Amino acid sequence: MSARRLIGPVALIIVTCGLLTQVATHAQTKPSAQVPDITGSWERYGFIPGQRGGGPRDPTIPPAQTPPALKPEFLKQQQARVQAVREAAAKGEPLASDNVHCIPEGMPAMMGAQFPIEILQSRGQVTIIEEAFTQVRRILLDRPQKSIDDVEPGFYGHSVGRWEGDTLVVETIGIKENVRYQNAPHSNQMRIRERLHLVSPTILWDEITIEDPVTLEKPWQVTYAYRRMPDYTLLEYVCEDNREYADEKGLQKIRVNPGK
Amino acid sequence: MPCRRVAVVFSIGCVIACALTTPVLAHHSFAVYDHTRTLTLRGTVTKFQWTNPHAFLELDVKEPDGSLKHYSVELTSINMMQRVGWRSNMIKAGDHVTAVVAPILTGEPVGLGLEVTLADGTKRELPVPAAASFKRTAETQ
Repeated sequence: MSARRLIGPVALIIVTCGLLTQVATHAQTKPSAQVPDITGSWERYGFIPGQRGGGPRDPTIPPAQTPPALKPEFLKQQQARVQAVREAAAKGEPLASDNVHCIPEGMPAMMGAQFPIEILQSRGQVTIIEEAFTQVRRILLDRPQKSIDDVEPGFYGHSVGRWEGDTLVVETIGIKENVRYQNAPHSNQMRIRERLHLVSPTILWDEITIEDPVTLEKPWQVTYAYRRMPDYTLLEYVCEDNREYADEKGLQKIRVNPGK
Repeated sequence: MPCRRVAVVFSIGCVIACALTTPVLAHHSFAVYDHTRTLTLRGTVTKFQWTNPHAFLELDVKEPDGSLKHYSVELTSINMMQRVGWRSNMIKAGDHVTAVVAPILTGEPVGLGLEVTLADGTKRELPVPAAASFKRTAETQ
């Protein structure tokens, strides 16, 4: 067979391989038939603290949040902070939160989704973006969790996950101790376990269980619900010109009229 | 039970019910602003600052003696504003607008924008969390 006659079959093989590779890549980036499609924009849903009042309970609204069972010394710290925040606000001199410094919420507070979130399912990873402060967390699928000592502490930690049937099971470690959720102190031993699953075609739950043998008497459970936003694309969020600041007493202040 | 007592109990009940059911989601506290009264500022825009974490409307307001007093009006996150229809080109320098604001408690010429009437007469609310907690008295400045 001459070289010229070989060009056709070789080219065909190359094109076919290319196409097959493309098809395979495409298949891997799409959720498989067994895995629910949770890709898209979501907004917080059913935010009803306390869940009191009459009427039949909506089964898509999660149960009431319970306060953390903190050990006495940590409970004292949390209560002192909560009281200080409340008293300062009542005086019209609120304490500056991290947000005043444009510091993002981190985990697990970002899952409270004050602004919409976006979930992206790709090969080997689920990515969750919270619009406010453009917070991003990456959940690595089917990977072993690292030991706590091997994870540098951060705002979003190190998350691994796997699909158990219809539920995405996630474990996160490595959250900085100054990244507080509901003013509750935590140690570097904290583990955040999550179970994300659809309770209806349009409602997603994230059942969060926080474990911390140092600060908690028993695991702390919180569930958030989200509703699909089929026509919404997350907006950019850059803390571009923050006129709020903390004064020397840690109180939230505002820069008046800079440059008019 | 006398009517007044019933009313008080009902009001407290409403406040508790609101506290339990209203999604009070805010990154920044608005406790620096007076929740008991509002001011109505009619003025000329010197700048419409379209930024996060919050937008600002800078206004020159004519005082009763004819002098101009400058006010800074803090608005919410531009993301929240966009979700309820606000756009960056709705206000420009030189526009005459009217803003209903909750004044800052320090007495500085600063307020939290609750509602703005644009130059074309369109009235637009700001998506302030727990906006109903600000009592509108609309004193004209």
